[in-house]
Amino acid sequence: MKGQEWYQADDVAKEYDDVRFGDGGRVIDRREKEAVLSAVGPVEGKRVLEVACGTGRFTTMLADQGADIVGLDISREMLEQGRRKVQESGLSDRVEFMRGDASRLPFPDDHFDSVVAMRFFHLMDEPAPFLRELRRVSKDQVFFDTFNRRSARVLYTWLLPMGSRLYSEDDVVSMLSAADLQLAGEAHDFVLPYGFYRNLPGWVARAFRAADETVGRTVPGDYVASVSYWDARVPGKPTDADGDTATDADDDTTTTDGATTADDEHADATPDTDAA
Amino acid sequence: MKESLLDIVCCPLDKEDLELDATEREDGEVIAGTLTCTECGEVYPIEDGIPNLLPPDMREEEEAAA
Repeated sequence: MKGQEWYQADDVAKEYDDVRFGDGGRVIDRREKEAVLSAVGPVEGKRVLEVACGTGRFTTMLADQGADIVGLDISREMLEQGRRKVQESGLSDRVEFMRGDASRLPFPDDHFDSVVAMRFFHLMDEPAPFLRELRRVSKDQVFFDTFNRRSARVLYTWLLPMGSRLYSEDDVVSMLSAADLQLAGEAHDFVLPYGFYRNLPGWVARAFRAADETVGRTVPGDYVASVSYWDARVPGKPTDADGDTATDADDDTTTTDGATTADDEHADATPDTDAA
Repeated sequence: MKESLLDIVCCPLDKEDLELDATEREDGEVIAGTLTCTECGEVYPIEDGIPNLLPPDMREEEEAAA
């Protein structure tokens, strides 16, 4: 796949953070981290998996907030950068990096409290099996973003070296329903595509971002947002309605297995088919 | 990787337990060695402290490309 090759090139990995999140890119970096933290946090003591973690931007942040986290990626070069970063920040105790395939994860069912996949689905031609697999290893939450079909992103994507799959809201709704996940929250942001910000000096980017936020707060702004964040939950497993499910999960990995998993041949798991 | 990772990871193919054979350790971490599936016998390398749990078909594809 075009995307995978691009991300695995060694020189791309080395300069990835500088080029993509230096200067104007910081506006994006901050917003994305905010999106992850507000949906996944508080993460203290939680088990988290980040797939397609790259150099570990979110993995490091979540470990810093107290999560017990595994960062998984296919690229050895990216992970080496991540490992170095984690060692430098003294977070090695809470972080493990590994190479793996997101459609065949090396973890048992229902192991993690949250599974995070940022900048992942735009690389996938066939997202459904991946989403199902993320759900399999999560006992509560799957959080991911998509780049939207109905935005300035369409033009921009055409120019990218790694290509991108763009999604409509209906695409995501039917993906979730096929993976037996429930949508718990969504957010739409960035009227202007990321690449626009990345090439600007920081102060110019911040000014545009202010305008972007203003437009984004309007209804048509939502309609043309280039990025969406999706907070999905595993039905029938502990919801975070009163928030204290994460803490008692670590005494025994297998307590809820079998009894409460919703994998009973989808007997009652198809109510949302006409929602799209 | 830390040895405690063995409590979490399993074979990506059949989800069975993995057995560690460490050939190099440093500061409580396994730097090099292998993880072998106790069921299917598939061997997964640990390189520079990072276990490679890509399924064998993806690993070969990549080696061929390199």
